[in-house]
Amino acid sequence: MSNNNHENETHAHHILSDSMAYKIFGILICLTVITVGVAQIDLGAWNFAVAMLVASVKASLVCLFFMGLKYDYKENSIIFSTSLIFMTVFMVLTFSDLLTRGDVYVKGPIVPESASGPAKSKFKKAWIATPELVAHGKEQFQAQCVACHGAEGQGNGPAAAGLNPKPRNFTSADNWKNGRKPSQIFGTLTKGLNAMPSFASLPSDDRWSLVAFIRTLGPHEGEKDSDADLKKVGIDPASEDGGGGGEKSIPVGVAIDQMSEEK
Amino acid sequence: MSQSEAGVVLAADRHHAHHFNTANEEFDACKQGMWIFLVTEVLFFSGLFVAYAVLRVFNPEMMHEAHHLLNWKMGALNTVILITSSLTMALAVSSTQRGNIDKAVKLLWVTLICAGGFLIVKYFEYAHKFHEGILPGAQWHYEELKIAKAPLFFSVYFVMTGIHGLHVIIGMAIIYWLIRRAKRGEFGPAYFTPVEITGLYWHFVDLVWIFLFPLLYLVS
Repeated sequence: MSNNNHENETHAHHILSDSMAYKIFGILICLTVITVGVAQIDLGAWNFAVAMLVASVKASLVCLFFMGLKYDYKENSIIFSTSLIFMTVFMVLTFSDLLTRGDVYVKGPIVPESASGPAKSKFKKAWIATPELVAHGKEQFQAQCVACHGAEGQGNGPAAAGLNPKPRNFTSADNWKNGRKPSQIFGTLTKGLNAMPSFASLPSDDRWSLVAFIRTLGPHEGEKDSDADLKKVGIDPASEDGGGGGEKSIPVGVAIDQMSEEK
Repeated sequence: MSQSEAGVVLAADRHHAHHFNTANEEFDACKQGMWIFLVTEVLFFSGLFVAYAVLRVFNPEMMHEAHHLLNWKMGALNTVILITSSLTMALAVSSTQRGNIDKAVKLLWVTLICAGGFLIVKYFEYAHKFHEGILPGAQWHYEELKIAKAPLFFSVYFVMTGIHGLHVIIGMAIIYWLIRRAKRGEFGPAYFTPVEITGLYWHFVDLVWIFLFPLLYLVS
């Protein structure tokens, strides 16, 4: 190892001059003021870009001067840069996975009807539970709900571990935030609650079938809707298809676009 | 040993470990080792930065609401404190290299005090959050912000700033150790390796904060 290119009697370690140190310090403080100042103005997406740009400039100054990379062997710069390269790989791979998962996880019927009007109801007066409706709801439940609410509806599905508050336990009468009447459960499904997204993209028949099935899981029989309750969720109890008021199904793709636009 | 404003060459007769040819070579190896350690530090923090990015991309609205619970003035104050400590650390290194040990010791004390000041500000921030019930994950019991996943933002906040704070505490211990050794006259133009590589560590702690501050406190 005697042929080390670092070994050089004339090689001098660079000493950062005080004036340079104070200059860098001054620039860093100015940049901090700029970051804070820009954050008070709403520039939309540019806020983030400016904040990260300024932070990168600050970081570069610290690396080059305070940490002396400017005067150091290039290999130390290269070593440090590798960490940033790997961090980028980490980010890119993570997001190339996460951002393309929508295609995998959005199941359920894709209803191509926004142009051609509401879909024909499969069930008459779907807000009234029938054995057929419950059976259909069970299928929907398997597809849409078990990940969080669990196969038995006890709120203990595999994805529930990371959630707070925990998903609702349907087998118990306790803690139902929006109530247990069919219309109330329908409202929760349509609007979402806490970590649960809106299921408004499901046709209302499917949502009503879920309501019917969920209500078979626990002691919820006694909680009944009045006509006024149904009207609150846009259902005309006299009409066979609910008057179309509650029916606002849209294709999943449109729903995703809407969700991403709601910043 | 030669010494000038332009630089310093380590003494050829300076004692160094037997597996190095010269004191210079030893110094370069130590410094490179520190850079490699800092690479592992970046990778360590990158897990947290990726977690932050994922949370942000999928919950922009929640991030916007939740970050208002942080006091950006406290964050900005801590940014200034850390940048100042970086300056005094850099000056402590150059003073040691020039043989001005008294000045170096004073500057190391200032660095240490800044680090302590940073932790005091952080203590007040944490205490306020704990009091309000703004706690990570399941511990959350802050009633005024009812938005899904806000507790997750604070999980990320507490883990990132907590681990950064741990780095500050470790840095303080090392800086104190440097002060003790410097007072014993162990450092000078011929040997300043521990001061220099502690400097690298301390500047890295500053670097992490430079990103944490805008990401957690400012970005909406």
